[in-house]
Formats: sequence, structure tokens, C-alpha cells
Amino acid sequence: MNITFPPLVALLLFPGGAFLLFSGLVFEYIDRKLVARFQNRYGPRWFQPLADVVKLLAKEEIIPTGVVKGLFVALPVIALTAALTSALYVPLFGFKPAFSFQGDLIVTLYLLSMMTLCIGLAGANTEDRFSLIGATRALTQLFSYEAPFLLALLGPAIALRTWNIGEINAGAGTSLWFIVAQPIGFVVALVGLMGKLELPPFDAPEAETEIVAGAFTEYSGRGFAIFKIGRDVELVIGLTLVASFYLGGFTSPLDFLWKTLLLLLVTAALQSLFARLRIDQTVGMWWRIGVLMVLLQLVVIIVGQQLAPVIQPAIQSLFGG
Amino acid sequence: MEPKTAPEKFIVPIGPQHPALKEPGHFEFTVEGEVVTNATARLGFVHRGMEKGAENRTWIQDLYLMERVCGICSHVHALAFALGVEKLAGVQAPPRAQAIRELVSELERIHSHLLWLGVAAHEGGFDTLFMFSWRDRETVMDLLETISGNRVNYSANVLGGVKIDINEKQADAIRKGMDFLEERTQHYLKVVTEDETFLGRTRNIGVMSFEQADFLGAIGPTGRASGVKRDVRIDSPYTAYNDFPVKLITHTHGDLEARFIVRIQELYESYRLVRELVDKMPAGELTVKVPRRIPEGEVISRVEAPRGELLYFLKSNGSDKPERVKVRTPSLCNWSSVLVTAVGHNLADMPMILAGIDPCFSCNDRIVTVNRKTDSTQMDWEDLRQYGIEYYK
Repeated sequence: MNITFPPLVALLLFPGGAFLLFSGLVFEYIDRKLVARFQNRYGPRWFQPLADVVKLLAKEEIIPTGVVKGLFVALPVIALTAALTSALYVPLFGFKPAFSFQGDLIVTLYLLSMMTLCIGLAGANTEDRFSLIGATRALTQLFSYEAPFLLALLGPAIALRTWNIGEINAGAGTSLWFIVAQPIGFVVALVGLMGKLELPPFDAPEAETEIVAGAFTEYSGRGFAIFKIGRDVELVIGLTLVASFYLGGFTSPLDFLWKTLLLLLVTAALQSLFARLRIDQTVGMWWRIGVLMVLLQLVVIIVGQQLAPVIQPAIQSLFGG
Repeated sequence: MEPKTAPEKFIVPIGPQHPALKEPGHFEFTVEGEVVTNATARLGFVHRGMEKGAENRTWIQDLYLMERVCGICSHVHALAFALGVEKLAGVQAPPRAQAIRELVSELERIHSHLLWLGVAAHEGGFDTLFMFSWRDRETVMDLLETISGNRVNYSANVLGGVKIDINEKQADAIRKGMDFLEERTQHYLKVVTEDETFLGRTRNIGVMSFEQADFLGAIGPTGRASGVKRDVRIDSPYTAYNDFPVKLITHTHGDLEARFIVRIQELYESYRLVRELVDKMPAGELTVKVPRRIPEGEVISRVEAPRGELLYFLKSNGSDKPERVKVRTPSLCNWSSVLVTAVGHNLADMPMILAGIDPCFSCNDRIVTVNRKTDSTQMDWEDLRQYGIEYYK
């Protein structure tokens, strides 16, 4: 669907801004409900994420002693801003991205990483020992999944010879779905997204039984609420990216819905299947397995592209086509 | 929380208020990066003065007080107390009462081990296993409620016997429940021994060798996972364990995985025992008469609680109130094993190592004064109270 919105509307109302915030909450609800059902629990009611946010926003924000106050207040806002900004470059709800240029894929990925950086800074900003350990773990995890996640999303980009998300989205639907063409990339991208969002089993940075809430331990009220919304928004954008790259792109909101929800179902199942990985296990897994597999796939794609002009005429002449 | 002082010593406190521990205990782990280099424990946050309280109540009232020492293994506390009192009084409960006591003990062990399985999985971030094992635990909780009317403090014992009987309908319900639980437990054993991510968190973690376990006096499933062949049910059978014997379950590895396996295999043993007890329940009376005043004397009564050996020391001066009741709960014997095995592991492993001994805090807090010859002091009740207030400030 090639409707474009005026930049201000796209930023504040639809598809970015307010609408994105609410869909983030809806996605969080679906995620929580699915995990709960997989674990044989009832799970939250539909308005629970919204109620959480409203409650947190209404509460007093305690600024602990020993922190840089400006940074403490600004970090959640920066994280949310970065997540919302990245929404402008992705085909949310199947609409054309509000902005696009060659290479916006890289910009979007960096904007998405801002969240983790902010969490790391937020943890390091306080004197709380749980926060410090949480921050160290969050940043360690960033270094482990970021490269494989980027490489996994580069697969379709290289295959389609464009680094523009909008064009990749359009191109992904015309050829064979990349989930079939590049299955390794799909798996790495999806699991990388879970690492990015610190979902179980990659929730070592905020493992409640070890370090309470990790970097968020000292956050309360508004700051915590904004971080929470920021993460929900990232969930939507991350799912959008993976679905548009690997599940044949979107052309309509309906397309968007079933593809992202399908991915959410898969991530919810993965969340409830495994025990939490220790941080050293996470790093080991990504660098020993994840990176190698994606690199292998990239090599195959590039070699295939170089050889295609040579092989194709040969095949065609063989079959007389 | 005070800011850290020495930069080379980074101490992570766990407890007394911490999401990993639902009961109050305080642990300090000195870490270098993620690796723990030292561990200390401080207990005593929930000292309740029950031993002292027991001295002011009659033997009969104490039975109900002692049942409330622990919320998970309530039956064994009342049982140990009742067995001790019966020994002092020189009476023995009838066979049917003994069998019912054993039956409730084993049902309680099932509920306790299933509860532990869930808690330990939760500490390792495996919430699905937590939810599933607690859901299945409801089966045995319902059975306990069916036969005793209560879910937690079953109050099955009276001095000289039991107050509940098992009829055919209840026996059928128990048989059905055991079948269901056995099937589920088979699944959990498979998860615990085959799931890769879970094994990554348990295999070779918190290893305690036989020598260490023996030296530190580890008891119960924690000790048995390290090959310590000690089980009161076998070493000195009480109630009906002579007629319905239990098989000793041990493991040699001594790591967290072994502790999981030992407890799960003990569950099988309990299912078998419960079925056998229900099928071959001896007929007869439920109680014998126990005098109100217990003859003068001292007795030590030992039973195997789900966490290990539970020891009661009872002293009677011939009146209707005990002169001294001393309770030694199993968790107390296993604390040192946590502190020793913790060193060298990742901080992430600490909650699981802690949970690995199936700790129970509220039952093992005591006040102990070491009375050297030179500084002998006397404290009355008011002094003790003041001391307590100062201590917890």
C-alpha cells in the first residue's frame, strides 16, 4: 500500500507516535498472554500493559543519591525517542516508510541499539550493585548479538542489492520468500531480536533471581514506564523488520498483522521452552554458532550472486530455454 | 544501600529482601566480574522463640505449636514430637496409626519435592517447569486436603496415634493421584536430564564431593546426591518404615543435576510406598491413651524430613509441660555446603546453588550464646527482648 503521510502526522499520530505506542502495548499483551498460556497460566487481561503504564506514570519517580540527575531522567526519554524515530524508516502496518534513503537499514539498526546503550548507561549511572552488574551484562549481550543480527538482516539486503528498507520490503514479496531462501538468516534474526529485547532465555541482564531487575533496579515511576514503552515499541519494530525481510514483505495492514503475530507466536514459544542462559553461555553461543552460520550464509549468497551470470546462461542453454 | 567502599571488593548482597529468596536470609557474595570468590551467610531474621514458647504450653498444646515450625514439612515436625513424647510415656501408637503417619509423611515429601523442583527451576529462569510442577503439585495438595481437611498443617497426629482415617474412597483418589503424578514425574526426569539449556545450568555446577559432603555433615537429598548413604527411614526406621521399607537413593556426581535426579527418584519411591501403604493398610485402632503428665526423662527423636534428618530433643520433668524442647532442622546442616560450593562459580549460578539444598529459613533460626567460663551472664526475658530489638536494628 503506497500511501504516504505528511511527516508530522507520521511522526506524532499514524503510523508512528501515538498509534505505535498503543500497538506496542497490544503486542506486549499478546506476548505475555501467549507465554502465560504456554506455561499453563491464565495470563493478564487485555488492558494490563496499559494499566501498568498508567500506574507507573502516576507514581512518584525516585531519583537515588549518587546519580547524575540529568542523565537519569534523560536516558529513558532518549531510548524511547530512538525507538520511535526508527519507526519512520520501516514499513509499519504495511504502509510505505515515512522516510527512506539508501542505507536507512543501517541507521534503523543503530537507532534500535540506542535502547540497549541507554539501559547500559542507566545501570552504570547508579551506585546500585545490581544495576552495575545488569549494565555490564546488557552491554556484553549487545556485543554478542548485535553483529549476527546485523549480518542476518544484511542477507536479504545483499540478495536484493539495496540497503533501503522500503525497497527490500517491496522486493521480498516478488521473489521466493527469504525464510525459504535463507533459513539460517531467519533463525539468527529472530533469535537475535529476542536477545535485543532481553526476552527469556536471554534475560540474564535482568535476571530477577540474581540481580533483581538489572539496570532498571533503581528506576521507578515515569522513567521505568518510559523504558517499558520503549521496549514495547522496539518489539513491534523488530518484528516488523524481521517479518518484512524474511516473510515476503507487507502490502497491506492485514498482511502485516498475520505475519508479525505469527513471529510473535514463535518467539513466545521459544521464551517458554528454555532455561535462562548465563551471560557467558549467551556470548559463547552467538560467537561460536550464530556468527559463523550467518557468515557462511553471506558467503554463499555473495558467491551465488557472482556466479549467477555465468551459470544461468549455461542452464538455459542446457534446457534449450 | 551504602556505596561500595573498597574498589577491589565488589560484594553482591542477596537478601533478606530479594526476589530470589522468598524467606529472609542474608548472603554476601564477593564477585570478581561474574565469578564468586567468597560467600558468607547470615541467618536469624525470623527467630520466633518457639522452643521457649513450648516450655509454657502443655505437651498436647505443643503438638500443634510444633506443627507450625515449618510450613512445608509440618507433618514431620508434629510426628517427631509425638514419637518422642510416646517414647517418654512408654506407649506405642497402633499399627494402623503408624501406617497412616507414614502415608502422610510420604505425601508430604511428594508435595515438598515437587515444590522444590518448581522453585529450583525458577531460580534458573525456567519458569515453564516452575508453573507445570506447581500445577501438578496441586494434585497431592488436594489429596492431603481430602484425607485431613487441610492443605498445609494437616494436623494428622495426636499424642498416641492419629486423628484421621483412610477410607476406600480416599484410597482410590490417592491411587489415581499417584498414577497421574508418576506419569508427570517421568516427564520431568526427562526434562531435567535431557534439556540442553537446563543441563547447561545444572551439570557440573555446585559440585560437592563425597569427602566434602561427609566433612560438612550434609544430610538429606543434598548429601545423598554426593553419595552420603544416610537416611533415617532406613538407618533407624520409625513408624511403619520397618514393614514398608524405602529404598535408599544416592548419586555420585554431587552436582546440581544429581540433586535434581535424587529428589525426582525419591518421588518415584514415595509413589510406590504410598500405593503399597494404601493397599496393605493394617486394620485396627487409631489411638492409644497417653497420660497427661509425661514421666521424667530425656529422649531424642529422629525422623527423615523432606530436606533431611530432623532431630527433636525432649526433656520432661514429670509435669504436663516439657522442660526443654530442642529442634534441629535439616536446613541448618546444609548451609555450609552452599558457602563452600559457591566459590568459583558464576554469580548467575548462585540462586540455583542456594536453592539446590532446598533451604528452609524460618525453621532453623535460633539464638545461641556461647557461654565461656570467664564471661558468664544471665539474661531474663526482658533482656532477651531488648537484645533482639538491638540486634535487628
